[in-house]
Amino acid sequence: MISFRPTEEEKQFADVARDFAVEIREAARDCEEAARPSDKLARKAEELGFTVMELPESADGLELPLVSQAQVLESLCFGDLGVVQGFAGPADADSLLRTAAAAGLDKLAPGLGTAPSAFVDALQGESLPQETLRFETANGGYRLSGTSRPVRGVKFAQRLFVAVADDAGQPAVVVLDPSSNGSAPWRVVEGDVRLGLLTAGVGRAAFADVEVPDEAVVAIGDSAAEWLTAARARIQVLQAARSVGAMQAAVDYATMYTAGRKAFGQEIAKFQGVSFTVADMAIETAAARNLVLYAAAQLDAGEEGGVQSARLAAARASRSLRFVTSNGVQLLGGHGFVQDYPVEKWMRDGQAQAVLYGRETERLIEFGEALLGKGGASA
Amino acid sequence: MIEFKLTPAQKQMKDLTHWFAANEMRPISMLSDKLGKVPDEWLDKVNKMGITLAAGGGMGGSGTGSGSSGSKKDDADVDPEVKRQTNRTTVIAAEEVGWGDPAIALTLPGPGLGGPPVQGSGTPEQKQRFLSMFTKDKPRWGAYALTEPEAGSDVSNIRTTAKKVDGGYVINGQKIFITNGGRASWVVVFATVDRSAGRAGHRAFVVEQGTPGFRCSRLAHKMGMRASETAELVFEDCFVPDANLLGGEEYYAKRAEGKTGFQVAMATFDNTRPVVAAMATGIAQAAYDYTLDFVRKEYPKSGRLYQMACEKLADMEQTIRAGRLLTWEAAWKADIGQPNSKEAAMCKAYAGKNALEVCETCLELLGPAGIDGHIVEKLYRDVKVYDIFEGTNQVQHLIVARRLYDAFELRI
Repeated sequence: MISFRPTEEEKQFADVARDFAVEIREAARDCEEAARPSDKLARKAEELGFTVMELPESADGLELPLVSQAQVLESLCFGDLGVVQGFAGPADADSLLRTAAAAGLDKLAPGLGTAPSAFVDALQGESLPQETLRFETANGGYRLSGTSRPVRGVKFAQRLFVAVADDAGQPAVVVLDPSSNGSAPWRVVEGDVRLGLLTAGVGRAAFADVEVPDEAVVAIGDSAAEWLTAARARIQVLQAARSVGAMQAAVDYATMYTAGRKAFGQEIAKFQGVSFTVADMAIETAAARNLVLYAAAQLDAGEEGGVQSARLAAARASRSLRFVTSNGVQLLGGHGFVQDYPVEKWMRDGQAQAVLYGRETERLIEFGEALLGKGGASA
Repeated sequence: MIEFKLTPAQKQMKDLTHWFAANEMRPISMLSDKLGKVPDEWLDKVNKMGITLAAGGGMGGSGTGSGSSGSKKDDADVDPEVKRQTNRTTVIAAEEVGWGDPAIALTLPGPGLGGPPVQGSGTPEQKQRFLSMFTKDKPRWGAYALTEPEAGSDVSNIRTTAKKVDGGYVINGQKIFITNGGRASWVVVFATVDRSAGRAGHRAFVVEQGTPGFRCSRLAHKMGMRASETAELVFEDCFVPDANLLGGEEYYAKRAEGKTGFQVAMATFDNTRPVVAAMATGIAQAAYDYTLDFVRKEYPKSGRLYQMACEKLADMEQTIRAGRLLTWEAAWKADIGQPNSKEAAMCKAYAGKNALEVCETCLELLGPAGIDGHIVEKLYRDVKVYDIFEGTNQVQHLIVARRLYDAFELRI
């Protein structure tokens, strides 16, 4: 049946998230200043289970369907996208753990649980030379070197999941933990991030000829490729759901502001240049939300088109997020540009979110290649 | 639970409608556009097959319901989300006939846009009189006449008058852009009994073909949708009996503070806008499918053109799907009995505008050859009006914005 009605459980969980979002929004500026979520918020997010929704039960997670997670994440990010992106936990590696069993790695998730992690996916799209990681056979194992592109959660991570190609071009997934003396085999390059998501622990991971034993290479070859495809689709949907939450925040705030702000003797909402823009923002948000839910439902049901739908949802969410948050600033005029109001932060966070998770155009091309057949292969 | 699977009945309806669209409509699509009409023998044939136009776009067999809500009996003790899926089923079917040919779709025999107001506001006697005539013996049409030369989007400004006289009303005025208005057996006509009363003065009448003082003065020539008849109607001292006042005198007397003729018209739009959006989505899907086939056959498998096609096809797929889902959401809300004017306006605004953009992109992918003998150029000409009729894109924006500002008790 075609239905847009959440289950009672989903509604209740989303309501809890929406209540929490009020606290998140109130603290968002302070968190940005501190470049991480407050301990109080982080603790509460963990207590309420928001950091383990994607994790499988075998790793002490809630193992929720994507459709449910999408609704909860939207509600949370209605508070503030940047803060939510900074909550510690397995970050995007949770989707790797969620799909590990299906990839034949039954024992992986229980051992790698809820530790703060980051997922350095060097195989998502094409990498520029300066951000290409090298993963070469050496001394009976592998050697990892190079500096990654900026990745969410790297600054907070105690464990890294790295997707990288070996010198034969095979995809591999590597899990890196600190050594017994506590020193991590990677170095965090904090860089000079000013745009947005400043609370999300964004940084680059630098690897200086790191010796990687065979046991740290948890998947390689076709099995790694399939696993990564499944995990990426889930990440794309979950990140797109977060983006929708930020969009809804901007829509609601701009509507409220323009309903109260007066110019030329009347509420500016009465000027159609304003009200039509608000309508466009609302339509765009609804369109993006539906694409997210559609992809989530397909992936939950294990349908064939799920991976393709996730690409479309991700690409659209990036575009919509930029459109909606930018117009949020526009409608507040000069007030939108200054930090007395939240919309400028949402615009910065939105743009950072859009670029951090890969190029929108690349997602579209991936979809097209799968549709037409890459390099002449039959579709 | 949020899900997007068609029920077996919906899947069957979709498949059946698609078969009809592909095998009966598409073969006469370009011919009908050239002729400026759908061949009479084809209309006679499909009418004998029992194919009719229900609720402004959905296709149904004889005796199937219109696109409005289910019966009251159906409403008792059951979850309306499960029991009443008429709006969802209608938009699924409407997309398929839009895919086949939108101009032919609007020419399918049946009550068309006139159906919902009769179904929703008519007396039992009126429903019997006006809706039971659509039988297999010969094709018949209904029509819906609201727009006037000076009242397009601003339908509250209609100037056609209805003066109360003994036994009925005398109607004077002019209506334009009336689909199937010339051939219709009857037309639902909106007129005002008192302009100073504003919307409260509006009334809806069913005016039958052959009524003295009622005539079709002209058929419009259009950029697209050429096979669909678009009529101008004139009413000159046209007497309409009380029995043809939709809902009857009692309806308006009892609802002095309830539904006006204007509200009847607007309620119709909440049901029909998703159908129009669905047809626009079907047009976009048709252009996309044709272009995808062209690209697969004609394009190189790598290089600049290939990359461009990959990106544009994905973008179109995303756009079409977003329009479809917004439409389903509006139809779903109608089915569960929730107000859906915002969602109906959203899907209409989105699908109407973006279906045109999809057709533009398809023409770009076809390249210069696209203007010569490809159906996409026809779809491009056809689809533009889907961003205009049933309320322009700008009107849809106004409705969406009004609903958003309702929360702040601000009337814009």
